[in-house]
Amino acid sequence: MNSIPHIQPPKFFLRFFRWFCDPALAEDIEGDLTEMFEREIGAGNITKAKLQFSVRILGLFRPGIIKKVGRSSLNHPSPMFKNYFITSVRSLMRSAGFSTINIVGLAVGLATFSLIAFYVYSELSFDRHHEKADRIFRIVENLRTENEELFQSTSAPPMGPRFLKDFPEVESYVRLQQWNLLAQRNDISSYERESYIADSSVFDIFSFKLLKGDKKTALREPFSIVLTESMAKKYFGNEEPVGQTLRMDYDNYKVTGVMEDAPENSHFRFSNLISFSTWSRNNKRAEDNAWFWNGFHTYVLLREDASVDNVRAKMKDFLERNVEKGGMYYEDLPLQPLASIYMAPPRTWENGSRGSMNNMYILSIIAVFILLIACFNYINLATARASRRLKEVGLRKTLGAFRRMLIAQFLGESLIITIVASLIAIILVWIALPPFRTLVESPLNFSILPNAWMVASVILALVVFIGLLAGAYPAYIISKFQPIQIFRPSSKGIFGHNALRKVLVSTQFIISIMLVAGTLLVYDQLDVVRNQNLGFDKEGIIVVPTNGDTAIVNYLDVIKNELKQVPGVTAVAGSTSTPGQSANNNYTQIEMTDGKMSPTNINFIFIDHDFLSTYQIKLLAGRDFQRDVKSDDTTAYLINETAMKDFGWTPEQALGKKVRGRYEGKIIGVMKDFNYRSLHTKVEPLMIAMTRNVGRMSIRLEGKNLPATISRVQKKWNELIPYLPFDYSFLDVEFDRQYKADKQLGKVAGVFTSLAMFIGCLGLLGLTAFVVERRTKEIGIRKVLGASVPSVVILITREFIWLVMIALLVATPLTWYLISRWEQNFTLQAVINPFRFVMAGLAVFLVAWLTISVLSLRAANANPTKALRME
Amino acid sequence: VNRHQLGEFEEIVMLTVGILYKEAYGVAIIDEIEARQNRKVSIGALQTVLRRLENKGYLTSEFGETTNVRGGKRKRYFSLTSLGSRILRETQDQRVEMFRAIPRIAFPKS
Repeated sequence: MNSIPHIQPPKFFLRFFRWFCDPALAEDIEGDLTEMFEREIGAGNITKAKLQFSVRILGLFRPGIIKKVGRSSLNHPSPMFKNYFITSVRSLMRSAGFSTINIVGLAVGLATFSLIAFYVYSELSFDRHHEKADRIFRIVENLRTENEELFQSTSAPPMGPRFLKDFPEVESYVRLQQWNLLAQRNDISSYERESYIADSSVFDIFSFKLLKGDKKTALREPFSIVLTESMAKKYFGNEEPVGQTLRMDYDNYKVTGVMEDAPENSHFRFSNLISFSTWSRNNKRAEDNAWFWNGFHTYVLLREDASVDNVRAKMKDFLERNVEKGGMYYEDLPLQPLASIYMAPPRTWENGSRGSMNNMYILSIIAVFILLIACFNYINLATARASRRLKEVGLRKTLGAFRRMLIAQFLGESLIITIVASLIAIILVWIALPPFRTLVESPLNFSILPNAWMVASVILALVVFIGLLAGAYPAYIISKFQPIQIFRPSSKGIFGHNALRKVLVSTQFIISIMLVAGTLLVYDQLDVVRNQNLGFDKEGIIVVPTNGDTAIVNYLDVIKNELKQVPGVTAVAGSTSTPGQSANNNYTQIEMTDGKMSPTNINFIFIDHDFLSTYQIKLLAGRDFQRDVKSDDTTAYLINETAMKDFGWTPEQALGKKVRGRYEGKIIGVMKDFNYRSLHTKVEPLMIAMTRNVGRMSIRLEGKNLPATISRVQKKWNELIPYLPFDYSFLDVEFDRQYKADKQLGKVAGVFTSLAMFIGCLGLLGLTAFVVERRTKEIGIRKVLGASVPSVVILITREFIWLVMIALLVATPLTWYLISRWEQNFTLQAVINPFRFVMAGLAVFLVAWLTISVLSLRAANANPTKALRME
Repeated sequence: VNRHQLGEFEEIVMLTVGILYKEAYGVAIIDEIEARQNRKVSIGALQTVLRRLENKGYLTSEFGETTNVRGGKRKRYFSLTSLGSRILRETQDQRVEMFRAIPRIAFPKS
């Protein structure tokens, strides 16, 4: 008997038995089955035993053993449910047109809603995948200088270690700094813009998975590098990368590990991590003392029992003890919870991309609107067509149906419609997901969703909710009919809910107008931004990174001259950064009007002689750097208009003021302001100095055939510096990328506005069809009595025109308010053009009118004899 | 009297439950019937009849101890109720009475 437990009875049949068997009987019968099965196994014939087991279970599938359903009810409703189902399906089939409108409307609504919900969910899911996410905080800095308050995402190198020392709540810290390195191996060379140096604690704090290598030691030694899987594949193919070396810029790095790619929904992503000691071994002094050098992103991990409020409470004391006052003060060191970073308003020097909470709100509102429009369609059509079900309801009531049974019936009907619609919606989502991914520029992997059961139950809940929302009012109205009304149809009793229908339709119009006007205004704002005079000419410039390559630094003028020879190239300039990027913020001392040197932190760009002329930046006073003035290289500074005003100078006063920064020198010129960052932030004070250490080359092109010019430049480039990739980008494209989130919003809003209009029109079409149908005879009589076609059309459309007018009145102030709130994100705001509302109103009206006219024209043109001959 | 008419299989089952006294559970009943009557009994048929008889009040049942065999499932032991035993006796008496009422001449000589 010992071998018996190894052989299991057929699982499938056992499960089947457990499913159908009355639970009161299940235990002992299953015991009997098992006993017989075990006995037959003991007799030796396994196949026969299994067969017998299955046959017995099939034999048990009979009344008396099968569990009973719904036996408790007095009135045996299960055949009644069947009847409800049949009548529902019949009534849906009978009015196939209306059902289609309802189902298509709801399906499109549900599909849109799920897509947007998926997107919003994915945006809100950022960084929550880290196991210790709720204990990880980023130290950010609020600094005050003489002139302004700075909100930086970065912090000083000693910050992390000192936190660990001073706060018992802090368990660990990690400092990260982004490097842009040129990686080379064999014939592959490309810029790894997302390289980060990191303390070795990075793997303890974040849940990044190390696939190969030891997380304790991988980032210990200088010049150790841990590659992500995709970067390992890029440079090493199928070779084993661990233990090999990889050349980056001028150093050889030893690969000590391979890790999984950072998930798509991480607020910063990287292609590799480099040991922190690579930097710190030569910068010990800076690491310990550079309290005003905000070059690192520092994350701290708090202990499990610690509360962040305790740490915050001791912050003032911490600052007083550790940070001596220099040119600026630490106002505060806020701690940002990891999961909130992605959606928080961006600070300066952010790592990685940022989302926009505003856009999430706007999209969610649109999603709910679209779903509402679809529900209103159902409510409108169902109540409008309620009279059709009068006889059925009357009969049911006469035969003794309770009101709640009728309510259940009609709620069931709307549930059926919603379920059918949701099945179609699933197909629609399936089709629309790839283009939607491109639209929102997000990978939207299903892997970010919680487990399938959660998703399924949320969807189910949504379907039931929508079914009830759409079905509740119609069910209430229809079940209210008194049987007597069938024989004495006073129009009041049945059609008294006309007012509600008007409210719903005008709400739909309001939503449509808001969406259309809103989209137009968003585009207006984006146009203003795009055509704004930036203070420099961004068209026709390509930017090539050089990463401070020594050959270029040493032979800068030669290389620039060679490139300038290429036909189509008009100017070449080198600089550390280009407009649209962040600028360096450096500690500087500047001579004030009273002659004292005042310390401050100011944004810096380092350029060469040709930068201003290449970018066509204008000067208010003084002069540009000049080649024939040799001392310019080491003594000259330029400042911008804002800085000049901040210091309280006139352009003339500014000239000659002493500056102690990278070198001791004087201000030789004042530039007109240009937007070296985005228009989301106002132009900040800027100082410009000379450098030969260029990191980026800007090349201005002219002529129509840019691609040909670019390939000529590339050819020249490859001749001059063959090992350096010609990895160019267009400055205007790069610059516009800063408005990515805004442009995206415009595009997404545009698409969904059209969808909302489409669903709204479907409903309108249905309503008109119904009105026309009900008034067939009236129209016939009118025509017989001499009414013209236009007068009949007006008769039908008149009602809707009123509604559009009212909707326009309501929608205008609402949209006005919302858009002006949104525009506060920009320093330069478009004037809200009232004409846009007229346009939106007209557009909505036109579409609505066209929809209505199609049907009403047909009705008006029909031969009245046909209408009157009926019955 | 007619209300309490037992079917043939019902009668056999009740008799077997009586025979097995205290040991009458599903598999034992099947074995007993198969041994005595030389016929196949399906568990489906047996269980349906057992429950029907229980609903009529002729049988009663209770769970036995938990055991390690049978996949840990308890046995359900059936026993005759007083109503059940009265019905069974009445049925037997009827049969015997009817058998006795057959005139001897009716039996062919064997």
